Amino acid sequence: MLPRAGFQQWLQELSGQFEIFGPKKNEKAIVSWQRLEGGELPDMAPGVPKGSIKTFFFPQPETLFEFTARPKQDDSFRLREPEKRQKPRLVVGVRPCDARSVLLNSMPYKEDPYFQQNRQNVILVGLACRNGCSTCFCTWTGGSPVGTEGLDILVFELEDGFVLEPVTERGESLLQKASSARDATEAERQAVQEIRDNAPTSLPEAMEPASQLVQKDLMALYNAPFWQQLSDSCINCGTCTFLCPTCYCFDIQDETLRGKGRRIRYWDSCMFPLFTLHASGHNPRGEKVKRVRNRFMHKLKYFPERFGPLSCVGCGRCVRDCPVNIDIRQVMKELLAV
Amino acid sequence: MSTMNEKITEELRQKARQLLESGRVAAFLGYASGSVPMVMRPFVARTPEDADRLEWNSFCVLNLANYLPALLKSFEPPRRPNEPPPQGPLPKVGVVATGCWSRNMVVQIQENQVERERLVIIGISSRGMVDRKKVQALIAHRDVTAVKEGDNTLVVAGPGFEEEINRWDVVRDNCKSCVHPDPVIFDDMIGELKGERDLPDRFSQVEEIEALSAQERWKWFTSEIQSCIRCYACRNACPLCYCPTCFVDDSRPQWVGKSIDSVDTAIFHILRAYHCAGRCTDCGSCESACPMGIRMRILTKKLQKDVLQLYGIEAGMSVQEPLPLTTYKKDDPQDFILTESLKGEKK
Amino acid sequence: MNETERKQGEWEPKIIAFLCNWCSYAGADLAGVSRYQYPPSLRIVRVPCSGRVSANMILDALRSGADGVLVSGCHPGDCHYISGNYYARRRFAILKRFLEFVGIESDRVNFSWISASEGEQFAQVATEVTERVKRLGPARHLVKEF
Repeated sequence: MLPRAGFQQWLQELSGQFEIFGPKKNEKAIVSWQRLEGGELPDMAPGVPKGSIKTFFFPQPETLFEFTARPKQDDSFRLREPEKRQKPRLVVGVRPCDARSVLLNSMPYKEDPYFQQNRQNVILVGLACRNGCSTCFCTWTGGSPVGTEGLDILVFELEDGFVLEPVTERGESLLQKASSARDATEAERQAVQEIRDNAPTSLPEAMEPASQLVQKDLMALYNAPFWQQLSDSCINCGTCTFLCPTCYCFDIQDETLRGKGRRIRYWDSCMFPLFTLHASGHNPRGEKVKRVRNRFMHKLKYFPERFGPLSCVGCGRCVRDCPVNIDIRQVMKELLAV
Repeated sequence: MSTMNEKITEELRQKARQLLESGRVAAFLGYASGSVPMVMRPFVARTPEDADRLEWNSFCVLNLANYLPALLKSFEPPRRPNEPPPQGPLPKVGVVATGCWSRNMVVQIQENQVERERLVIIGISSRGMVDRKKVQALIAHRDVTAVKEGDNTLVVAGPGFEEEINRWDVVRDNCKSCVHPDPVIFDDMIGELKGERDLPDRFSQVEEIEALSAQERWKWFTSEIQSCIRCYACRNACPLCYCPTCFVDDSRPQWVGKSIDSVDTAIFHILRAYHCAGRCTDCGSCESACPMGIRMRILTKKLQKDVLQLYGIEAGMSVQEPLPLTTYKKDDPQDFILTESLKGEKK
Repeated sequence: MNETERKQGEWEPKIIAFLCNWCSYAGADLAGVSRYQYPPSLRIVRVPCSGRVSANMILDALRSGADGVLVSGCHPGDCHYISGNYYARRRFAILKRFLEFVGIESDRVNFSWISASEGEQFAQVATEVTERVKRLGPARHLVKEF
C-alpha cells in the first residue's frame, strides 16, 4: 500500500533510473501517452488513452539502421546501428487490456529483435479498471479489467492511495524501492477484492464466447453475406488500425535525405491501397470489402488459428473512434451467427 | 408530438421505400443509427425493407457524396480500363443531401465522377449538424450511453448523469458559418427550402489566424497538426478525394514520408487541403472524422475564402459554372508575381 | 551543412528555380550569353510550362532543403501552350497565400514572368529573389531532418 504522496515519491525516485510515461490530457482533452516528470501522476479517468501502448514496443517509426548515402565517402552505404535510448522506460497507468496486447503482439514478433528488445526495456505498471466504459469488452476476448497479463506491477486505486501488486520479478524489485510502502490493511485488501469482484460485471453487455470462432469453418465465415453491407459504410481510413493495440502490420522503407539515409519500419494498415500491393500491380485485397474482411478475419480467425487467442483485447478504441461506426462487437456477433 | 427529425426520418423512409419498391433506384444511400451514441452509420439500403432502417438526426456528419463514385460504379457491369462504358441507362442511386453535400455532388458531376442522371437526390435543408467533440467537452468527457434529441435540445445521459444541452451550442463550426443550407440540386425535397443565411463574419475563424504574425501562424499550424497519426480519415471522409493513387502513396517521387514526422505531417496537411482548393464546400466531414480533434477545416476554409475573394466563385453552386481552378480570366489578379510587383515599385 | 553555409555571413541560399522551357529558361540562357551578373544561388529545373509546376514540387523542394523557390513562366498571353500560365497563375495565387497562412514566410516562394528576350530581367529577378531569401535566412519550417 502506498498513499498518494508515497506513490508520487516512488515515481520521482524511479525517474533517475527510468524515463517515465503515462496517460496525460492535452489541451484538446485528448488523453495520450506522454512523459511524466517530477512524480507527476498519470491521468486515471476511466477508459483507455486515445493511442494504444503499442507505440512503446512497435514505434512509429522504428529506425532499423542508418547509413551514409553519399558515394565516394569512407563510410558510404555502410550500415550503422541507430542510437540507443539512454534509459529504459517505465509506463504507468496501463490498463490491463493494453498490457495484454503486448503479449499478443509478442507472438508474431517472437523472433523480432527490435520488438523483443523494447519489451525488455519497458516496464509496465498497470492500473486496474473499477468500471468498464460503454465501449469496453475485454471479457469477450479473454481479458479482464483486473487482469495482469503483460504487466510487471498491477495498481489498484483506492480512496486514499494505491495498492500495488507485483506481477513479475522485475516488478517486485521495483516495489522494494518504494520507501513509504506498508502492508495493506484488512480493509484495503477487502476493497481490492471488491474491485476484483465487481469490475468484470460492470462491463455493459454479457460475455460472448468469441473464442468459439476458431472452430467455425473458415470459408463459411469468409463468404458470409454481411461483409458487403459492413464495407458499404467503411471509408477505408486507418483510424481503427492505427489506434488498435493489436494491429501490428508494418512496411519498411529506406529514407534518404541530403546524403543521410535510414531504413525505417512504420505502421501499415490493411485499409490502405498499398497494403499487400504486389509489384505486378495486382492486389489480392484490392477492393474495400476485401480489406474490411481481412481486418476482422485476421483478428478473429487467422490469428487465433495460428497462435491461439483472438488478436483483440476489447479496449474498444476502434468502436469509440470509427467515423462510420463499424463495431467489432457486432462483427463478432455476426460471425458467431454464421 | 414528434420532433422535426422524427418527421424527416418518417418521410425519408417513405420516399426511399417508394424509390426502391418502384425500381427507380438500385440502392438508397442514407444513414442508419449506430451502436454508439452520436455516431451515425452511413448506410446503403438495397431493399424496401432496408429503408426502414434509415434515420435522420443531428449526427449525420459524414458527407454521403463521398460514397457515390464507388457506389455507382458497383452497379455497372465490370469492364476493362480502356473499354467504353456500357450502352443504355445504368442503375440509379438515391441519396439524401443537404446544402454542402449537394454542392459536392455538383463538383463530382463537373469532374466527371458521377452522372446527374444516375442520381435521385432527396434534398433536406440543413439545420446544422452537431459536433460530438463539443458535446463531450460540455459534459467533461464522461462516458455517454444515450443521447435524446429534441428540436432545440440534446439530452445526454451516461452512468449517473443526465444533462440537457442547447443544440445550437454544440453545432459544428462549419455549420455555424454556413450560408448555403439548401441543396442546390435535388429531385425531391423533404421540408421547405430555407434560403441563404446572411453571415458577414463567416470567415472569422480564418481571419483570427490571418491576424497573427508568420511565426505565430506557423506555431498555430504545427501545434494544430502535432497530434496527427496519419490515419487519413480526413482524406477518406472527403468527397473530393477520389484519386486512384493519392499523392501520399506516390513513390517516384515520394512527396511525403510514410511515418510520423513533423515535416511530413505538415506537408501532408498542406497538400491535402490545397488539393481541395476551389472544390471544398466546407462540409466538415474531415474534421468530424478526425480521431485526434485536429481542426484541419480552417485550412480549407482559408482556401475557400481566397478563391471567393480572388475569383468570386464558390464551389458547387452551379453545374454550369466551371470550377475556379479549371478556368481563368485574362485579367486575374497577379500582384503576387514578382516581375509585376517590381514593375509597380519602379513606377 | 556545407562549406559555404558554415561561415556566417557568407551563407549563400539554395534556391530551386522552375523555369518554363519556352520563355524563362531561354531568358536565363540569354542572361548568361549576355554576361549579366547574378548570384550563383539558383538551381534551375527546366519544365515544359509553368502550368506543369504543382504544389507538390514546390513543397518537395523545400522539404529537401531548398531555402527558396522561384517559379517562372511566359508572360500572360505568351504561353507556348496558349493558356498554361493562366491556369498556373490562379493556382499559384492561392498557393502563395495558403503557404503564408500556415506560417511560411512570404518571400520563400516566388513567382515571375520572364520572356525569352528578357535576359536582364532574369538577372534582376534572380538577384531580387536571392536577396529576399538571404534576408530570411536558411529555411527551417518544412525541411525534413532525421
